[in-house]
Amino acid sequence: MIYYLFDIPFSLLGNQFSLNLLSCQLLLDQLTEWHAVASWTWDAQDETCGICRMAFDGCCPDCKLPGDDCPLIWGACNHAFHLHCILKWVNSQTPQAHCPMCRREWQFKG
Amino acid sequence: MTSSSAASRKALSKIACNRLQKELVEWQVSPPAGFKHKPTDNLQRWVIEVNGAPGTLYANETYQLQVDFPEHYPMEAPQVIFLHPAPLHPHIYSNGHICLDILYDSWSPAMTVSSICISILSMLSSSTVKQRPEDNDRYVKNCRNGRSPKETRWWFHDDKV
Repeated sequence: MIYYLFDIPFSLLGNQFSLNLLSCQLLLDQLTEWHAVASWTWDAQDETCGICRMAFDGCCPDCKLPGDDCPLIWGACNHAFHLHCILKWVNSQTPQAHCPMCRREWQFKG
Repeated sequence: MTSSSAASRKALSKIACNRLQKELVEWQVSPPAGFKHKPTDNLQRWVIEVNGAPGTLYANETYQLQVDFPEHYPMEAPQVIFLHPAPLHPHIYSNGHICLDILYDSWSPAMTVSSICISILSMLSSSTVKQRPEDNDRYVKNCRNGRSPKETRWWFHDDKV
């Protein structure tokens, strides 16, 4: 049995996450099976969202499934939050919202 | 009770409920030094005992904070007041209202009950004189009918105490 483990950091639409790819090759007399298992995690410095306090690997309290439907988003100051959480905060603040962590003016990271 | 909003306020949202349960668990694991949460079955109103820090004007004194959470906590700040009798402090009115910017304009959803408590204790500890704010009587008169301090337009004139 041969295992390959890849850890590939990559960026998609400005978001940062790691893809862990575990491939397993089963060798008997010849190649009979090939399994590929992949998992991913967000590359955020904290483990939980500073607003809802839920894990980044989970989703915000209004969502059921982590992933595309409940993404993380980074501010220009590099603090990350669930997109849904920071939007609730930003939309409640007029005229200018500040980052909940560092109080700098909130701007989405371009 | 000082807060008239108790009866009319809306139930906690799902996010608020979730976060408060997490904060309560965290509090039980490591409560901020000098504070004791008095357990009730009401997640929306916490009553917290504060012990004045040793070596300060409030050493060996105990006060009670009442924290009421709005429907959309933590997007909105909780209402925090001292229950009677409120400590004598240049930023604490005799009706329990506290002039502290993080409870109003400077609230951030990353703050917690625990961090609020620490700020309040630090405010008490840095006091050099036990007295009411200069405009105490006028302010308290204006607040009759149990008006919430969140409706006050605060003017934060002094950040030394």
